[in-house]
Amino acid sequence: MRKNIAIVEDEPALRENYSAALARHGYAVKSYANRHTAMQAFRAHLPDLAIIDISLEDEAEGGFDLCRDLRAASAELPIIFLTARDSELDAVSGLRLGADDFLTKDVSLPHLAARVAALFRRIDALKRPENAAEIVRRGALSIDGEKMQTTWKASAVTLSLTEFWIVHALARNPGHVKNRQQLMDAANVVLDDNTITSHVKRIRRKFQQVDPAFDSIQTVYGMGYRWVE
Amino acid sequence: VSIRLQLLVVALTTLVLPWAGCQYARELESALRGSQEQSLLASAGTIGNALSAQPQRVFRNEDLRAFDARSGDLYVHPLPNQPLLDGYAEDWGIPFDLVTLQSVSGYHARVQAGSTERYLYIYAEVDDAHFDAEPNDVQPDDDRFDRVDVRLQSADGTDTSYFFATTAPGLNAAQHVTKDDDDARHVQAEPRIQAYWLQTSQGYHLEARIPFSFVGERLWIEARDGGSKRSAGFTPETESAGGRLFFATDGLDGLLATFIRDGTRATVLDTNALALGSSGSVAAEPINATADGGFNWYRALVESDASHLPPATTGGDRRGADVVRTALSGEPRAQWVRGDDGRMLLTAAAPIVVDGVARGAVLLEQNAEQMLALRTQAFARLFELTLIATATAVIVMLAFAAWMTFRIGRLRNAAESAVGNDGRIRLTMPESRSGDEIGALARGFERLLARLNEHAQYLRTLGAKLSHELRTPLTIVRSSLDNLESHGLRDEQRSYIDRARGGTQRLQTILTSLGAAARVEESIKLAERVNFDLRELITSTVAGYRDGFPATTFALAQPDDACFLRGAPDLIVQMLDKLIENAADFCPPAGRIHVRLGREPGNYLLAVDNDGPRIPAEVLQHLFESLYEQRSGRDDKPHFGLGLYIVRLIAEFHGGTARAANREDGGGAVFTVTLPMI
Repeated sequence: MRKNIAIVEDEPALRENYSAALARHGYAVKSYANRHTAMQAFRAHLPDLAIIDISLEDEAEGGFDLCRDLRAASAELPIIFLTARDSELDAVSGLRLGADDFLTKDVSLPHLAARVAALFRRIDALKRPENAAEIVRRGALSIDGEKMQTTWKASAVTLSLTEFWIVHALARNPGHVKNRQQLMDAANVVLDDNTITSHVKRIRRKFQQVDPAFDSIQTVYGMGYRWVE
Repeated sequence: VSIRLQLLVVALTTLVLPWAGCQYARELESALRGSQEQSLLASAGTIGNALSAQPQRVFRNEDLRAFDARSGDLYVHPLPNQPLLDGYAEDWGIPFDLVTLQSVSGYHARVQAGSTERYLYIYAEVDDAHFDAEPNDVQPDDDRFDRVDVRLQSADGTDTSYFFATTAPGLNAAQHVTKDDDDARHVQAEPRIQAYWLQTSQGYHLEARIPFSFVGERLWIEARDGGSKRSAGFTPETESAGGRLFFATDGLDGLLATFIRDGTRATVLDTNALALGSSGSVAAEPINATADGGFNWYRALVESDASHLPPATTGGDRRGADVVRTALSGEPRAQWVRGDDGRMLLTAAAPIVVDGVARGAVLLEQNAEQMLALRTQAFARLFELTLIATATAVIVMLAFAAWMTFRIGRLRNAAESAVGNDGRIRLTMPESRSGDEIGALARGFERLLARLNEHAQYLRTLGAKLSHELRTPLTIVRSSLDNLESHGLRDEQRSYIDRARGGTQRLQTILTSLGAAARVEESIKLAERVNFDLRELITSTVAGYRDGFPATTFALAQPDDACFLRGAPDLIVQMLDKLIENAADFCPPAGRIHVRLGREPGNYLLAVDNDGPRIPAEVLQHLFESLYEQRSGRDDKPHFGLGLYIVRLIAEFHGGTARAANREDGGGAVFTVTLPMI
């Protein structure tokens, strides 16, 4: 069954380009120019994935409002923020509102498609019985590559997709320094250094919520990060 | 020329005040003198009228024939007290008023007469260098000695002659020729008539005292030389009509005294201008103001020089005075004259009219000195006051000028430093709350600075805005390229696509660096401070740079122990990135970048220096400003003058500073950041 993807983007050219690219990858895509038309359609029928721009026409933060409404309508619906904004604040706000991922518009269409596919794969994997082969274990950490789930000392750590891939890249080769470019490649995103830094910070904080003593991601200044056990 | 000086010059115009005061004083003085004349004239008129009502108390002598000194008429001065017989007239108590006797063959003698209650005094000065003494056994017809003959005519017309001569100067009695019973003539002394003979170098003085019992209406005096036959004087033979004696009126002095006040002398004159009586004195009383010894400004200022004035007349005969002549002809008149002491004297005369005819005149003489002294005192006070006022005005103006200059200077300093070295604009000006023009100027500056600040703000945010606004169209291009690529393309089409992609890539880089400062500012807002080891951070970061800039040599100098800093390590890394990027840009290939971490009291010093060109001094102070870019395009990387601005932002976030200088060896630049220790 084809997945339904809703794109809420006020820029027609972008909307069409994203729609075309995702349609080419076999998704059923519906696009909306503003919050009202999108919300109307969502009330009738929820999509399988919503890709939302933050500023919508005359509403500078319309995307956030839409995200909140959608999250109220469905706790499970995956949401990706796609925005021209690259400020850390926006990313934090978006993710706090329950978005599953946060991409800047610098992301290329193939990357976008890959992220969408990965997100669906994670959702699908969650519905299937566990497949042990995909699990990476590093001490207290275990990463389920299939379900894109992370646990630390047996407690689940909820990571966004980007965060998941960063942790995955670091933990696969403990002790190796991964520079920011490598982490971006691993996460299939185009971010600037600052955004990587804030992602790493947020990852640490998420682990520390589970275990305040968490200190496995080390900063190697001027080079990048590494996983230590 | 400073405002202070300009206002000083303006303040000097207040000197016109004392000048005007002087002019005023001069005018006032002239007016006061006029009124003094009028007042004295009025007094004279009043006295004249009062006296004309009682002519019997004024005019004793009904002889209205003209007084004629040339025919031997003599005015008899009333003497205030009894003089000593000593050959000197100085003790008579009146001014000298010698009448020259008519000369015969060049013999000269002068005479004056005075009277007390009982005596008539005669004083004669005779020029006779050779003294011819009277022989001891003088004979009646003997005249070979110096002698003064006095002939007295009584009321009934009988004449009596006396002569004064002496064997030796000194006190002696008058002599006269008498006939005894045998009709023989003898020279006999008359002891009731005494005289003093005083020999002088020019001649002799004779002071004689004659009781009034001897004196009649007429008196002739003749001085005769014993050696030659010369003589001076009058005899009844030569001047039968002359020799009359003119006396002052008894009691008139006392009457006049009731009319006058200090400093004024009143004299009543008959038609012959002879004094019938006088009272008062024109002697100036000593007045404090003139005794101050200093230069008398007022006298210098007003006309007080009497040298051009006609001299005052003194003595019994006042016909010499213009005012007297005018008054005797019936008209009152006032005049300024020069007194004996050379000072100014005001005279006024009014006629005494009896039965429609001017029978005499009242002459008032007033000392101007006293009034002048009072006015001098007043003027000195006025002058002082205007000087004080002028000085006060000048001082106040100077103080005001200083205050103005201070305010303008403060405004100027504020205007000069309104745009700080860091490019920040201070929006408030001193003085802007003042209501005057300087306040308006300050407010004008403030408006200008506000506009400038808006502009600068706009420029500062322009990068971030551009980076944001251009991102969407860029994304459209890129996503379109992505879509295009997914349709099978021919090779030549692909190469165009690749070029377009390369272009968007560069655009992307440009947009990222344009927005860099804005992102750093935002990171700073969100940054959390932790304690970390700066030394360790620098070690690992520089290791990273060695990989990132393979063409450049990095040298690192650090302390041996840990350098703990409280701050945001990510930001410090970013700051180092910018410093190193900047150093690498200017470092020649195969050059060296030296990173040093050191300590100074309270601070860590992080210095990055590089080989390369020197930085011009005028560029140094602007290097850390936002959007300051001063480099010739050497590479194809975009530069927006934000790198060192970011360095400064991060240094300041940590409470430190950033500065740039040229290396002392002249081989390049050194950028130093201070970071406070924990």
